[in-house]
Amino acid sequence: MIIFENVTKIYPPNVKALDGLTLKIKPGEFVSVVGQSGTGKTTMVKALIGEERVTGGVIKIGDWDITRIKQREIPYLRRQIGVVFQDFKLLPNKTLFENVAFAMQVCGHLSSRINRVVPQTLKLVGLEKKMHRLPQEVSGGEQQRVVIARSLVHHPKILLADEPTGNLDSINATDIINLLERINKFGTTIILVTHNKEIVNSLRKRVITIDGGRVISDQKIGKYIL
Amino acid sequence: MILVSTIRVLKFVMQDFFRNFWLSLVTVTILILSLFSINFMIVVGVISNTAIASVENKIDLSLYLQTDANESNVATLKSELENVPEVASVTYISKSQALESFQNKHQDDRSIQDALREVGGNPLSASLVVKAHTLPEYNTIINKLDTFSQYPIIESKNFDDHKTLLTTMNNITDKTKKVGIMVSLIFVAVTILVVFNAVRIAIYTHQKEIRIMKLVGASNWFIRAPFLVEGVLYSLVGVIAIIIIFYPFLQLLQPYLSTFFNVNELNLLSYFNHNFLFIFGWQFLAVGVINMVASLVAVGKYLKV
Repeated sequence: MIIFENVTKIYPPNVKALDGLTLKIKPGEFVSVVGQSGTGKTTMVKALIGEERVTGGVIKIGDWDITRIKQREIPYLRRQIGVVFQDFKLLPNKTLFENVAFAMQVCGHLSSRINRVVPQTLKLVGLEKKMHRLPQEVSGGEQQRVVIARSLVHHPKILLADEPTGNLDSINATDIINLLERINKFGTTIILVTHNKEIVNSLRKRVITIDGGRVISDQKIGKYIL
Repeated sequence: MILVSTIRVLKFVMQDFFRNFWLSLVTVTILILSLFSINFMIVVGVISNTAIASVENKIDLSLYLQTDANESNVATLKSELENVPEVASVTYISKSQALESFQNKHQDDRSIQDALREVGGNPLSASLVVKAHTLPEYNTIINKLDTFSQYPIIESKNFDDHKTLLTTMNNITDKTKKVGIMVSLIFVAVTILVVFNAVRIAIYTHQKEIRIMKLVGASNWFIRAPFLVEGVLYSLVGVIAIIIIFYPFLQLLQPYLSTFFNVNELNLLSYFNHNFLFIFGWQFLAVGVINMVASLVAVGKYLKV
């Protein structure tokens, strides 16, 4: 269970990014978080992975109060949350295999395990035949699938996707959403932050709408209402 | 886990060193240039110290003795002088030795040779040549010589010229040393800043990688470790390279120095050989520490995500 309870975030001098944000997400849910630019969606994502400290309120993942998380605990938090960004964040000098393996290497996994898990994960996202290519040698959609594969190698309970289709054409965007739905079926909680109306409407899943740093609508089978 | 992480850190370091070969080359080149400057300062220091020591060696005090001074009095004076702690040596120059040396020195000067023949016999006095351990000690010896006035055999006490010369020499060597230390400190400070900046730039190019490492859950020490090891690797490569470059440079320089300064006892190669571990060991340690501190500061800036 992910709980946001009356969370506020104020950037100096006095810019309120989150203003009493309150919501609950159950394990295994697929939730779309929508809202216009500057409404606090990205701040919410950053707060959830410990990249931003909130000004007030409580954020809990299970029993873990991550608003009081210590600096040295942040790596362990991030190994439990897969994150997918709009701008991919792949290392250009490493192959697709090495990019995915990198996430396991930094956590101290043995090479034998890495050599077994990485090809399996790349196969899951349909890139097993291109694993020795560099990121610039594959399409944008394929790069985003590598990022998803990278976030999956830790078997995270939660996958956070912040505008994952923002840089993709509609065909590739649909591919990525289908992939997220498949991952959700394995039991991973998906939080999809987006302002792509077509995608949100076609999903027919829970939609939380944020405006001015607070929830203005929470629909079980929702639509993009802005 | 620790062993796996250590091996992985070393692998990352080697991969990064060779994959970013041009950046590594530029960083190491800056290190080599900085080390070259430092070693050149050492050479300048050795040359100036040897030159000062050589001038110091040429200075002595001559006590001219009366022509009728008997040998036992001379021997007593000599042994008393030798007992003065500041005195390094006392040499007796007899009348005939003095004449021989004078004639040799002026053998091409006909007027002096003629004058000597005109005077007839040996007009020169015997003398005691006193040498001190260091330049400032001459003043102490000169002051103590005044208490030797009970020996009437000392004919001339023409020390005033020496006093002026010694004061001037002391001032010059003192100022040279002070200026040398100041210039060296400025040089070291510039070197630290240059190396510090080079490392910061090298790490700046890795900021994206550091951010990604953080996002996929790497601990801060796992992120820092490759940069720290890379800092040590850079200083090792830099010091090995400067040893390879600097020795041939010293060999090229040596003949010019011997001719230009006319200082035969100056041997830079043997100086560097004799102090090899001290000079290059300290350079390796100093550059390694600068690199590591620069890495820690620069990486720390990008760890705040």
